[in-house]
Amino acid sequence: MAYSDKVVEHAENPRNVGTLDKSDPTVGTGLVGAPACGDVMRLQIKVGEGGVIEDAKFKTFGCGSAIASSSLATEWLKGKTLDEAEQIKNGDIVTELNLPPVKIHCSVLAEDAIKSAIDDYRKKQAAKRAST
Amino acid sequence: MDPFATLGLPRRYALDLAVAEKAHRELSRALHPDRYAQAGASERRDALSRAVAVNEAFRTVRDPVSRAEALMTLLGIAVGDGHEPKADPAFLMDMLEQREALAEARASRNAVAIADLRDALRATELGAQAELAAGFDSGRAAELVGKLGELRFYRRFIDEAQAILDDLSDCASTA
Repeated sequence: MAYSDKVVEHAENPRNVGTLDKSDPTVGTGLVGAPACGDVMRLQIKVGEGGVIEDAKFKTFGCGSAIASSSLATEWLKGKTLDEAEQIKNGDIVTELNLPPVKIHCSVLAEDAIKSAIDDYRKKQAAKRAST
Repeated sequence: MDPFATLGLPRRYALDLAVAEKAHRELSRALHPDRYAQAGASERRDALSRAVAVNEAFRTVRDPVSRAEALMTLLGIAVGDGHEPKADPAFLMDMLEQREALAEARASRNAVAIADLRDALRATELGAQAELAAGFDSGRAAELVGKLGELRFYRRFIDEAQAILDDLSDCASTA
């Protein structure tokens, strides 16, 4: 199957690959998997003052489209507020990367990972507030 | 289409591969175009399409993942994208750690470590297959969709580990 140029570019030069300290209360971690294909994706955000995402990292074990989807997602996340980040939809990723229909689930996985990272961050913050 | 019926096999997850191979071989022989050289055009076409169906059925039942998918579909259980439960977080964490270990072993070109990881996952895969076999036999197929998902994660990992090993040995032999 032919990948679009943008997918190849991200898959060969993925941005923001790496790990943030998941025990840091300002870090949210999203861990998602695609049971239909066996891809695993971890996406992390570090949230600074005013709820702005300062840093985003990912690690994806899967096909080129899954790597490109998560790489693009981390690029988009940096500098966004959590509310803005929540507005990122898998359709935006599909459009930007020109993903074919059989690879749409990769973008769904990336959207899930973003939501799950935000959710994890908010849970940590709520737990912190509850304990103080 | 029922691949088990096509091959004359019982509709079960537990599969005796030798029996399936024999059924495939015998049906393929019986449907071989040479046997239909004197037959009419429609009979020849019919034999050919049955031979294609037999091959496809064999490919389906031979693979542990597609065999489970076929059985679930026959039982009216939806599988595939959007129909399956999200993987358990602890399971995903474990898979991610195994993937990271594989990536490290690959980076250090440690063929022994890669083979160990592959073999450990193969053992886990066999365990999952045994669970599927028992579950299907006792009519609990609907509870097994998550287990089928796990099987795909294992398969993906094992295929990748094998591909890395093949790659390493190719490099070694041409070096």
